[in-house]
Amino acid sequence: MKSSPSIVSHFGAGLIKNNPVFVQVLGMCPTLAVTTSVANGLAMGLATTFVVVSAATIASIINRIVPGQVRIPVYAVIIATFVTIADLVLKAFFPPLSEALGPYVPLIVVNCMIMGRIEAFATRNAVGPSIADALGTGAGFTGALMVLGGVREILGSGELFGAAIFGSGYTPMLIMILPAGAFIALGLLMALFNHLQAGGSLILRKAA
Amino acid sequence: MKKMILVLGIVTLLSGVVLAAVYTGLIPRIEENEQAALERSLSALFEGSETPEFEELDTEGPTVYRAESQGGDLLGFAVRVTTTGYGGEIRLLVGVSPDLSSIAGLEVVQQVETPGLGAKIAEEDFRSQFEGLDPSEPVDYVKNAEPDTEENEIEAISGATISTEAVAEGVSDDVGRAVEILSEEESRQ
Repeated sequence: MKSSPSIVSHFGAGLIKNNPVFVQVLGMCPTLAVTTSVANGLAMGLATTFVVVSAATIASIINRIVPGQVRIPVYAVIIATFVTIADLVLKAFFPPLSEALGPYVPLIVVNCMIMGRIEAFATRNAVGPSIADALGTGAGFTGALMVLGGVREILGSGELFGAAIFGSGYTPMLIMILPAGAFIALGLLMALFNHLQAGGSLILRKAA
Repeated sequence: MKKMILVLGIVTLLSGVVLAAVYTGLIPRIEENEQAALERSLSALFEGSETPEFEELDTEGPTVYRAESQGGDLLGFAVRVTTTGYGGEIRLLVGVSPDLSSIAGLEVVQQVETPGLGAKIAEEDFRSQFEGLDPSEPVDYVKNAEPDTEENEIEAISGATISTEAVAEGVSDDVGRAVEILSEEESRQ
């Protein structure tokens, strides 16, 4: 797999232009539910990235031999397999994270972002571009969850990665780590993201 | 038609094989982690006594662990409590003194209560209220008042009555039953 400009652009599309959270507004259930801290957002993002990349790879390899009628069940089985693997690995090696993410790891299986990438991209493209596309989408998802988790953790707990960042004088804004805070933070971040995209901020263009 | 069955069959078969392999490979580690988490909570109940040893008792009703010091002295019992709070299942471990007369401590093993409100059930201030209460009597809670420990009372967390009630009821029911069973067994011996 050579890295050609098109592969880079597939990656960038998922990361910024079609960011699954801020632009496509997909996968809202984990986005809102687990982003009470940066660490949770990072773990959820990485687990989802693992699933979307693995499933997209397999889907792009076998898409020619899968008859159209059983396409969805076949991909659902593949996705479910990788989700179960991710869940078991988290339980075995990162028990605190597994505890914190709770039922949201098995629920990756119904994250429409994953089926979306497979249906819209991996079944129509070769392995290389499919991996790039899935990686970009996963990175975009992870980034969005970390930003959201970061904002909520800083305001809601006065911490970042579990370390206190304000003096003891700071009273945490409890609402930010409650569900209502998730909606407020997501709405504001989405507005900011789309404003920067439309307004052509240099920083974001470079990141793409 | 044939191809459909073949492809779906092969994919599900491969998925099953892969999952079986991963599961077999990881399950010892997962069980080890769960055991370690349980032992951490059990040890925290009998703080001060150096690395107690635990044995799960073969009794009816709630799961009970018998804690012994390295020297073989009975330190007390730990009762597993499962109750339903505001956010979902709450799992506790409650320590009981060797003579079954008082609660030695309470550890929260798992809870998904609201952060900042119900989640305070896991904090020392709330948990320590149970120490010294009578496990054979129901635990009551009072709001915005000084709890009377003689009456087996604790003070509710403000804004989290449901979580408080869940813990109080869970302790009353499960620990009460465990103590009943344990004392019955003792009198039989």
